[in-house]
Amino acid sequence: MAAVSSVPARPAARSRRRPSSVSAVSWGLLRWGTIALALLAVLVPFFWLVSTSFKREVDYLADPPRFLVENWTLAGYETLFSRNDLGHFFLNSVVVTLASTALAVTLGSLAAYTLARARLPFKLNGALAFWMLLTRMYPAIATAIPYFLIIRDLQLLDTRWALIVTYTAFNLPFVVWLMIGFFEEVPAELERAAMIDGCGAWQRFTRIVLPISGPALVATAILSAILAWNEFLFAVMLTRTEAKTLPVVMAGFITDKGMLWDQMTALGVVTVLPVLLFALAVQRYLVRGLTLGAVKE
Amino acid sequence: MASVEFVHVSKRYGRVEAVSDLSLRIADGEFMTLVGPSGCGKSTTLNMLAGLDEVSAGEILIDDEAVTGMPASERDIAMVFQSYALYPHMSVRDNLGFALKVHGEAKAAIAAKVDRAAAMLGIADLLDRKPRQLSGGQRQRVALGRALVREPRLFLLDEPLSNLDAKLRVQMRAELRLLFDRLETTVVFVTHDQAEAMTLSDRVAIFDRGVVQQVGTPMELYDAPANTFVAGFLGSPPMTFLEATVADGAAGPMLAGEGFALAAPAPRDRLRRGQPVVVGIRPEDIEVSRDAAGHPAATAISLVEPMGSTTIVYAPLGGKLIAIETDKGTDLAPGDPIGIGVPPDRLHLFDPETGRSLSA
Ligand SMILES: Nc1ncnc2c1ncn2[C@@H]1O[C@H](COP(=O)(O)OP(=O)(O)O)[C@@H](O)[C@H]1O
Ligand SMILES: [Mg+2]
Repeated sequence: MAAVSSVPARPAARSRRRPSSVSAVSWGLLRWGTIALALLAVLVPFFWLVSTSFKREVDYLADPPRFLVENWTLAGYETLFSRNDLGHFFLNSVVVTLASTALAVTLGSLAAYTLARARLPFKLNGALAFWMLLTRMYPAIATAIPYFLIIRDLQLLDTRWALIVTYTAFNLPFVVWLMIGFFEEVPAELERAAMIDGCGAWQRFTRIVLPISGPALVATAILSAILAWNEFLFAVMLTRTEAKTLPVVMAGFITDKGMLWDQMTALGVVTVLPVLLFALAVQRYLVRGLTLGAVKE
Repeated sequence: MASVEFVHVSKRYGRVEAVSDLSLRIADGEFMTLVGPSGCGKSTTLNMLAGLDEVSAGEILIDDEAVTGMPASERDIAMVFQSYALYPHMSVRDNLGFALKVHGEAKAAIAAKVDRAAAMLGIADLLDRKPRQLSGGQRQRVALGRALVREPRLFLLDEPLSNLDAKLRVQMRAELRLLFDRLETTVVFVTHDQAEAMTLSDRVAIFDRGVVQQVGTPMELYDAPANTFVAGFLGSPPMTFLEATVADGAAGPMLAGEGFALAAPAPRDRLRRGQPVVVGIRPEDIEVSRDAAGHPAATAISLVEPMGSTTIVYAPLGGKLIAIETDKGTDLAPGDPIGIGVPPDRLHLFDPETGRSLSA
């Protein structure tokens, strides 16, 4: 009996192995193919931006487009830095980004802690959290005109404060939602232990919960900062000359006389660089923060 | 040093009554164990005492002072959690010193106390590690150390040994007892393990479904259980319960059941003829007779379990499998016919309706 049943089993096993090696190859192709496509989609425009910033006008306007040229130039950068007060606008971007991120992360994690831990009456926890998310569910442009009028009446037009307040508001719901998730992962017994050890709510938050949530806070802060750094719509609407941020300056190279591609792409590179360096520096935290709670220790 | 008193304390979670009308006094310096099966309200009781949960009704007194509404942070209580709840971002040293730091003690004083507690628990060489670099047993010691450092007036321990493997658990049990003997502080210890309750405690409170069944020293509870729950909970292997009826015998009243008859314990005047009773028999109280023929409680061995220091044999009686403790050198084997005898004063009688002891 055993011999009989083992005979058909063997070819079946072999035929099972063969398609699996074929499918392993095709899986590999699919996987690397997908990765390659994704990289192309991200890197080609970036390559185009960087290379254009170093091209002469004849080369970047050439038709058909030239990917690689013989004469590279720094002319775009020279004009950019000599004709614009770039330092001022760069500082605007930095201040607005840092301030709004700090505010959003501070206020947002406080709110998130309350929503994650306190039992508010009338099931308010869920309602409040959802309400925050609601503010991100319509296109921001829908509120542009009333928002502009409010900022104008507050005499904040063309000030850094206008953008700081705006970006803080943009980022708050996002920070709150991310941090609620992280705080809920902090074991309740840790906080009970801290209570026993003499901590009130504030000390539990600052000495236990926040330090444990460090990677999550960093990840959230990075994402907030990137959003603030890149924001264009409200920046162009609420600033004119003094408080312009880099994206607004960049858009200024679209003039009625034509597109100043060299300066625009040079500024593009200048704008991307700090974020790129920053992201590389904190990459470790970013990955750890975003996967926090996914794996139990 | 503190005394504790629960005065008609209840705790409800919605419709669930986790603790019902608990009244219990714990003396200064006493080691009191709350024991019972999972979900019987032990942790809830401890948490109410710690101030982590509010009472639904009644009052808790510490040192004769009502603590209702007093936050946990002000009760001067230390607690060891089942999960240990060590702060993962702090070194062992910082874990131990955290409460003192929160209370604003001087750095030098904290360091001295931490070193002393670490030495006491044998974890001095672990002080610079993070909790995730420790084994289960080491974490458990750190959790204990965190409580010791505080020198609180009251220690609460919620199943501190249940995450350890069996061997370590028995070893830590003895160490705990020695430690708290030395400290002379009041301890409230929660466990579901009857052996821990028996070996550690000055007194034990046995819980079932939120209600305290009996309070007393381990031996009081073991020798004179108030009901079948207490009788069955303490002891391993547990007491066997047989259904029987009071009947007349040649030498006085007998307890007769399916296939057995045993002489009733004194005082016998409280037993009516025909009264149904539940007879409780502990494994170590049984006298085995090899002379089974004509024995009033004859049966045959079905299973032999050598435990090392003793051997437990099982035999069917009265519709149950009765556990019998014998010497380790016994030559009893499955199939051997035996007669079962119990000295009348070792029998426990219970009311079949209420489960209450008829001996009291
Ligand atoms: N936070 C809570 N919400 C609802 N029910 C709870 C809560 N905590 C405990 N209970 C219930 O109360 C009862 C007692 O729980 P507990 O005191 O934890 O038991 P144990 O004796 O195992 O420690 C259980 O039925 C449990 O389900
Ligand atoms: Mg429990």
